[in-house]
Amino acid sequence: MEQLLIQYKQILSDYISNRKEQNLYIGQNYIRQLIQKNVAPEDVINIHRKAIEEIYTQLPDTLTHAYDFLIEVMVQFGLQFREHQSLLVQQEELRIEMDIAANIQNILLKTEMPELESIDIGMVSEPIRKMNGDYVYFLYDEQNYLSVAVADVVGKGVPAALCMSMVKNGLETMKYANHNPSYVLEVLNNIIEKSVDDSMFVSSFYGRYDIEHGVFTYGSAGHEPALYFSAKNESYYDLNSKGLLLGVMPEVKYPQFTIQFEENDFIMIVTDGVTELKNYDVIESRNLLKKIAFPLRHLSAQKMCEKVYSELQKLQDYNLNDDFTIVILKK
Amino acid sequence: MELNIHFRKESNLLKVFIEGEIDTFTAPKLRDKLESFDIDPNYIIELDLSKVVYMDSTGLGVIVALYKKVTREQGNLKLVGLSARLIRLFTITGLSELMNIEVEVKVE
Amino acid sequence: MNNILEVNINTEWDIITARQIARETSKSIGFDTVDQARIVVAISEIAKNIFMYAKAGLITIERLESAEEKGISITAIDNGPGILDIKSVFDESNSKGLGAGLPGVKRLMDSLEIQSELGGGTIVRIEKWLR
Repeated sequence: MEQLLIQYKQILSDYISNRKEQNLYIGQNYIRQLIQKNVAPEDVINIHRKAIEEIYTQLPDTLTHAYDFLIEVMVQFGLQFREHQSLLVQQEELRIEMDIAANIQNILLKTEMPELESIDIGMVSEPIRKMNGDYVYFLYDEQNYLSVAVADVVGKGVPAALCMSMVKNGLETMKYANHNPSYVLEVLNNIIEKSVDDSMFVSSFYGRYDIEHGVFTYGSAGHEPALYFSAKNESYYDLNSKGLLLGVMPEVKYPQFTIQFEENDFIMIVTDGVTELKNYDVIESRNLLKKIAFPLRHLSAQKMCEKVYSELQKLQDYNLNDDFTIVILKK
Repeated sequence: MELNIHFRKESNLLKVFIEGEIDTFTAPKLRDKLESFDIDPNYIIELDLSKVVYMDSTGLGVIVALYKKVTREQGNLKLVGLSARLIRLFTITGLSELMNIEVEVKVE
Repeated sequence: MNNILEVNINTEWDIITARQIARETSKSIGFDTVDQARIVVAISEIAKNIFMYAKAGLITIERLESAEEKGISITAIDNGPGILDIKSVFDESNSKGLGAGLPGVKRLMDSLEIQSELGGGTIVRIEKWLR
């Protein structure tokens, strides 16, 4: 330490008399060796104080006290600074792990979009954070049925992602697209209800389209009603249903309803990220959605979804506040 | 936006007044407060939501969790003062069929 | 001179008393200003831990003297919630807030020992030797 003080005193007094860039550069190099020798911030202040005391022998007492004070607070500062640094490192590690988890989730929960002659399907599902709390699942066979599930987990992030995996697994056990919506929802409910957390639940819309007969059968578990557009009447209808959220109670029964699907009709299934817009209440949001989709009705289902998404995004200043999912089925 | 929660006890009735927004940020506070009391059988817990200006699905989660807890302990949960918007939320989610909700629609 | 001094920690003011005793003791042992500051900040941190997590506890400040060496030892005893995983307290990448600042305290001093049981309180002993 004595050696360091001698060096510092020299560098400091050189600077005080010359004030050249060169002096500062030497000072910078000096600091490097302090880092290598693991000298604490309070020691640096102390070195400075001692150097000053040696250069100016008649320092007022008050200045010495001021240095004492600075040393004291630097000890605390060093302590907290390192703690803060280690928190930043920890945060960065978490972020990396989170990214990996989100990538895995995105692969696991990737929706496979069927392409069918008989019905046009479109979808946009955009998460607000890294992990999507919405999930869309299609099941189909070439001749008979196309089924679609749209699910929204309460909560966001990791717990929501884990819960969504349960929904996916439940849907995968269905294997075939011919099951009744009421049956599928009942099975999903029993799976999620057995999960541990009391505040964990999922809303879901489940629809099955009978390709040959053009009949759409649907049920809802606490989900925002889907919108049905009848081309013949040029008007929208809410696909109302009654059914409790998945995961609240065991042994819940879900009713199902049917509509006859005609040429150019379409169905819009959305999550609450679409109907809970800022500055609009739900009814206004739904009306807005109808209004935006109406002039787009001649486009393909995928184009319609994309246009609706970009319109709403624009309207909300590119700052949507929830996971956003819209699925359109069109004949 | 803040969330304020007050309690008032009247014999076996516990009134809980909730004021503000119940969203992802404020829901944990509500959950902690609602978990802070014990429920005796036949106890009635009344949540007054008339001063709730906004509630998202996270808030719904807290209320569902409370409902499950109260039901398990054989108490009763009652929701009062719901705005038209909240009534729609409870209706769509099917919770209005399950829970005791005062249906008298408040003029907003 | 009295070799062992004690301070009960019940209020925030007691933290200041503990600091004062630590400063006077370390000064009389011969620690320089910087080391005095380190010892005082260290006692301040462990006293604050008692105040925040255990509500009450006792801090003992002791002069250490042998033929060759002089030093100071500070022991904090509380009946607080205790620390389940002592290792995690020193793992800076995993600081959970309980016993916050202990890795930093260890750096300010020469040694830090900790004994704890969940629900059975905590004993923290720190030492610094005069060089």
